[in-house]
Amino acid sequence: MLKIRNTKAQMHMMETIAVLLIFFVLVLIGIIFYVNVMKGNLEIEAEEARQLEAIEVAQRAIHLPEVQCSKGMDIVTSDCVDVLMMEAFDSEGIVSKNQLYYHDRLGFSKIVVREIYPNENKPEWVLYNLSLDKFKDKMTTYLPVSLKHSKENKYSFGIMQVDVFQ
Amino acid sequence: MPDKKYFRKSQMEIMGLAIVVLLITIGMLFVVKINIGKKPAEFKAEFTSKQLAQNTVTAFLSTNTSDCSGMSITELLQDCVQSQTDCDNGEVSCLYVKNAASEIFEKTLDTWKADYYFSVYFPDERAIIELGEECKGDKKPGWGYTPTARGTLYTKLDICG
Repeated sequence: MLKIRNTKAQMHMMETIAVLLIFFVLVLIGIIFYVNVMKGNLEIEAEEARQLEAIEVAQRAIHLPEVQCSKGMDIVTSDCVDVLMMEAFDSEGIVSKNQLYYHDRLGFSKIVVREIYPNENKPEWVLYNLSLDKFKDKMTTYLPVSLKHSKENKYSFGIMQVDVFQ
Repeated sequence: MPDKKYFRKSQMEIMGLAIVVLLITIGMLFVVKINIGKKPAEFKAEFTSKQLAQNTVTAFLSTNTSDCSGMSITELLQDCVQSQTDCDNGEVSCLYVKNAASEIFEKTLDTWKADYYFSVYFPDERAIIELGEECKGDKKPGWGYTPTARGTLYTKLDICG
């Protein structure tokens, strides 16, 4: 009689253990699945953040008041850079004197402007260069701009290349 | 011999377990359906196409030529629909603008493998200048307007995709 009861109790124990085991296996599968989904979502969010940063830097670069064209004293022409101002910006070493300010605005990036038409063989202007030798990702944005030659009061077609390093 | 009641109880337990597994599976499938194929939003591509189209047209129209009396493309377009004078290299203004556009696009849009359709036209008339092929799907347009004696001349650049 006692033996039968013991066997029955053992059976119940075994059953409980089996149910718990299955339960924990399911929980484990759920956790692994959840972690994988979250990892995928984080990667997507990181990629989106990288894209937004690249856009932000490109927008700041094309609207740099230091080189932006203007008519008279205060009417700013958008999507246009003044060649004389670019040359002064480069030769005065403005970036190296205010490295912290520009790093805060443009991060690790390289901004180059080159003329495409009518004279293709002109030298390029490196407005800002804080490139990384080792980087995970590099996003390049090309922005067509007007290049104003103030001395001759003429415009040419140029490209601003903005490389953002991450 | 085990009684009928015992069997019914164990069947009920298995049924319960099966329902739990089924619910978890449905939940997982739901999450998979939502997340699989989810790609990062193409903020940069969107921004680049829009900016590219508008900036290209704006910069192009204000560009001065080197061998057409230093006239700007806007001035050449005005000339194109009015008197059609010859440039220093022998090309008439309309052809000069077309060749200038072609040269610029070759060094920019073609290099970046961007499909485009460029046109200069008066509304309800055949295009005066056309380059590239019309976009079949989505497009990001850039516009330019030139006042002429015949009315407003439209310059349009569509970046496809």
